[in-house]
Amino acid sequence: MVQKVISDIESEIGKPYQQLESIINEHVLQIPSEDLRQVVKVLTQKHGYNHLSTITAQITKEDPDYIEVLYHFWKGSGFTLLLRLEKENPVIDSIIDFIPGVDFYEREVAEMYGVHFNLRDGTPPLLLPDDWTEGPPMLTSEKE
Amino acid sequence: MIFQLLFYLIVFPGLIFQFLSAWVFEWFDRKMIARFQRRVGPRWFQPLADWIKLLSKENILPKGSNEGVLTLLPIISLCSVVTAGIYVPVAGFNYFSFEGDLIVILFLLSVPTLAYYLAGIASIGIYSVLGGSRSILQFFSYEVPLLLALSGPAILAGSWSIQNITSSQIVKGPFIIFQPLGFILAVVGLIGKLNRDPLDIPKAKSEVIAGSLTEFTGIKLAFWHLVMNIQAVVGIFLLINLYLSWSISITPLLSILIFVIESLLMIVILSVISAIFSRIRIDQLADIGWRILVPLALLQLFVVILM
Amino acid sequence: MEKITIPIGPQHPLLKEPLSLLIDIMGENVLGGDLRLGYVHRGIEKLAQTRNYVQNVPLIERVCGICSHVHTTTYCYAVEKLLGIEIPARAQYIRALMCELERIHSHLLWLGILCKHIGLDTIFMHTWHNREMVLDIMEELSGGRVSHAANKIGGVRFDLDQDHGPMVVSILNKLRVEIDKLRDVVMYEPTIRARTQGVAPLSPEEIRQFGVVGPVARASGVDVDFRRDDPLPPYDQLKFSVVTNQAGDAWARTLVRVEEIEESMKICGQILQDLPDGSVEIRASRRVPAGQVVVRAEAPRGELIYFLRSDGSDSPARLKIRTPSLTALSILPKQLSEIQVADIPVVIAGVDLCIACADR
Repeated sequence: MVQKVISDIESEIGKPYQQLESIINEHVLQIPSEDLRQVVKVLTQKHGYNHLSTITAQITKEDPDYIEVLYHFWKGSGFTLLLRLEKENPVIDSIIDFIPGVDFYEREVAEMYGVHFNLRDGTPPLLLPDDWTEGPPMLTSEKE
Repeated sequence: MIFQLLFYLIVFPGLIFQFLSAWVFEWFDRKMIARFQRRVGPRWFQPLADWIKLLSKENILPKGSNEGVLTLLPIISLCSVVTAGIYVPVAGFNYFSFEGDLIVILFLLSVPTLAYYLAGIASIGIYSVLGGSRSILQFFSYEVPLLLALSGPAILAGSWSIQNITSSQIVKGPFIIFQPLGFILAVVGLIGKLNRDPLDIPKAKSEVIAGSLTEFTGIKLAFWHLVMNIQAVVGIFLLINLYLSWSISITPLLSILIFVIESLLMIVILSVISAIFSRIRIDQLADIGWRILVPLALLQLFVVILM
Repeated sequence: MEKITIPIGPQHPLLKEPLSLLIDIMGENVLGGDLRLGYVHRGIEKLAQTRNYVQNVPLIERVCGICSHVHTTTYCYAVEKLLGIEIPARAQYIRALMCELERIHSHLLWLGILCKHIGLDTIFMHTWHNREMVLDIMEELSGGRVSHAANKIGGVRFDLDQDHGPMVVSILNKLRVEIDKLRDVVMYEPTIRARTQGVAPLSPEEIRQFGVVGPVARASGVDVDFRRDDPLPPYDQLKFSVVTNQAGDAWARTLVRVEEIEESMKICGQILQDLPDGSVEIRASRRVPAGQVVVRAEAPRGELIYFLRSDGSDSPARLKIRTPSLTALSILPKQLSEIQVADIPVVIAGVDLCIACADR
């Protein structure tokens, strides 16, 4: 069922994507960050994956020069899109015109990890105060 | 002579008597509502304790407001409400009555409403202004049915003096029998005038915090509380005199007892209505006020005129 | 008439927790609102990375006061999935029992708050009195009224003995009588209906676009309940129905939550009847093997999702929590743009905000 969705996505966009087994309970598809909008369009409009649970961003110990951004969709079972952005200049397209509810998730990723979202009117801070000057909190290391 | 006058003005039925009645009213009301809500309720001295506590609080003024105006408004309201109370007969005792005193009382009882509105505007803060404008909007919806309902007994008795209305009831019987609809409308109007649930739109805690009185503190707020409570007491006494008095000619002790019992009954009615209804919206109030209450009041008046 | 801006918050009688809403009004019409979160942000996701898995359980419990148990349940399930262990059936049932009791007390709390804000203090007092019965059960079982510390990695911290089952059943029976009376009042009392019917309706399309979950979504006809659709054990063995309503306004949201209290009481009855024997915990190692997991659960307010990543040490490498209150907040400015000032409390109370959850 999910395989059908994945092969449909691949045929729509025209290139093969890598499926990972890295998350228990979820089907994971790794896509390059430029293809995000097209893939989300196919997922939501053609296959009815309307529910985006959240967007997670993380930096892994194995790959400290990349920020991984995970888009968790759900329709009967979980489906995650995995993107890797360069830590020095993390830029990604916003999908707020498809899914208006993604506003808060993108704002949180932007302020916590310093990711810049194109195609939207800036990302005002969500949880941090307006006069926060110390940079994205999740990128700083602990002061022991 | 002058001592007698001072006694009437200050002790009974003047300031001290009204203060004590307001205390009893507030305690009984709060206790009844608490028992409806499965709570215990306050002890008998709680309203006095709250009032004394308010007197000792700090006086804070919003920036840009006029201290003279804000201090004068509760004082003027208190004066008009106490003056109105002097003219309302209590258990048949009436020294100051004259022809037309009903109209004077109704006018005097409107002064606190206007002062409440002005207090909201003069406090400048957003919640005060909103509360004040809502109180005037509410005024337009309940005042006309109230005035019409309170005119019914005057027409039936053929006089605008409360003394004559009460003596007329001794002959004809309590007016509530002839105009039950008028009584109900008068109770609804009284709830609106006192800003009680379900018509406490001007001071809805979750929308405008405390309405006009948001920025008042200390002695001024204590005076406002006193004004509200004495207004309630005067309103209740007025309704009893206009609709429920029939026992003045019996022995004075019995008439006092009946008066007290009727007052407590009125407080029970007001508390029950407060406990069981939620607040209605201002547009729903305007709708009900002009579409239902005013026609009913006119109908009642028409019936009374025909009688 | 000019436009004025009223600030709701950070401190306001309407809000249990601080939130900043700047609402523009003109006369009695509301034009729109501007939302600002973060007043209760404690940085729990970052803090979780500095503590080990066992120390994180009390930390996660303090994300929210009202739905604390479901947070620790989801977290413990996530860690147990990474460890590859399955907890005994009795522990699963006890976890579900506490989850359902929490749902009952959360909905009763919400009903009281809604009625308080529309001016009906009497129902507020009565519902919170009934809520005390549920809190008494939770105190008997776990020792705490609001923070139970019921979960630990590998099971639950306490067990039910022979007296607890009948005690819980008898209190729930008494509560059922009270809830029936309350339901009749809420459904047939004219002023509650007059204040909530037709206020701020949401269509299923808007629900989908904004990703709203929980009773708010179910009140607009969107039939999603993660206890049925993505169940954590033992919900796959329990029979219950999902309550939906088609109207989508504040009245529908009230009805959905009141019916859900009924359903939760039925589930509690089933749990106590089918409670399997056995131990309530299993030994879990402190070091969690490397891996990533996503767990979803149905909190009283909707879908709760946890993403947990472990790198083989005894601290999480990344813990991401998304609470359902965040989705309700994202649709709040839109709901505020078509109503009157007197409906503001109904709308804000109707989406059942738990801002501590949203801010973490």
